[in-house]
Amino acid sequence: MNANEKAAWTELIVSLAACGVALALAPFLGNAATSGFALLGLLPLSWLFFRRRGGEVMTDERDDEIDRRAKYLSALAGWFTLLLAVIGLTMWSNFAGDHTVRTWVLNWLVWVQFVVVCGGHGLASVVLYRRQAHAA
Amino acid sequence: MPRKKEPTLSNSIRELRTGKVPMTQQELADRVGVTRQTIIALEGGAYTPSLALALRIAKVFGKKTDDVFRLDE
Repeated sequence: MNANEKAAWTELIVSLAACGVALALAPFLGNAATSGFALLGLLPLSWLFFRRRGGEVMTDERDDEIDRRAKYLSALAGWFTLLLAVIGLTMWSNFAGDHTVRTWVLNWLVWVQFVVVCGGHGLASVVLYRRQAHAA
Repeated sequence: MPRKKEPTLSNSIRELRTGKVPMTQQELADRVGVTRQTIIALEGGAYTPSLALALRIAKVFGKKTDDVFRLDE
């Protein structure tokens, strides 16, 4: 497993953990449970995997290609999350009849979208690396 | 419109690497400037290299690119 794959696993695990913590805290803290998403602050720690040991090659063109495809897929997932949420919110606000959207809903939406993009990037990278793993 | 199926690229890196002057995957990776995992993926046919990498690999073995890589159409 090279540095990029370790970073992808970190991204996936941290995103899932942040989501899990936020959802677990929600019944007790209400909207303040979004503080659980602060775990996403651990993401930059994945740079520890990129410390150079001697003249070792850390990443190459295959990693770049996987990263590029993962970024595209995660951006797509983030975009669809936003699109579906906006459609859902519009439908709900019309159905409810007050034609308003609560601020806390937008707060959750921003965090969820952030998790979808980060977690989606990690998941897509892990899947793309796994696809090539059968050759190992 | 149906899309034309992309031809796959097969190679004889493993045969050349374990040939007359055997070298490890790590040695080959170091010489061409990639990670060992990329050599593994290349040997398993799971990754299609860039032209630059294909040329560097062929140069390490002292072969023409055609002798190392071929199109399976």
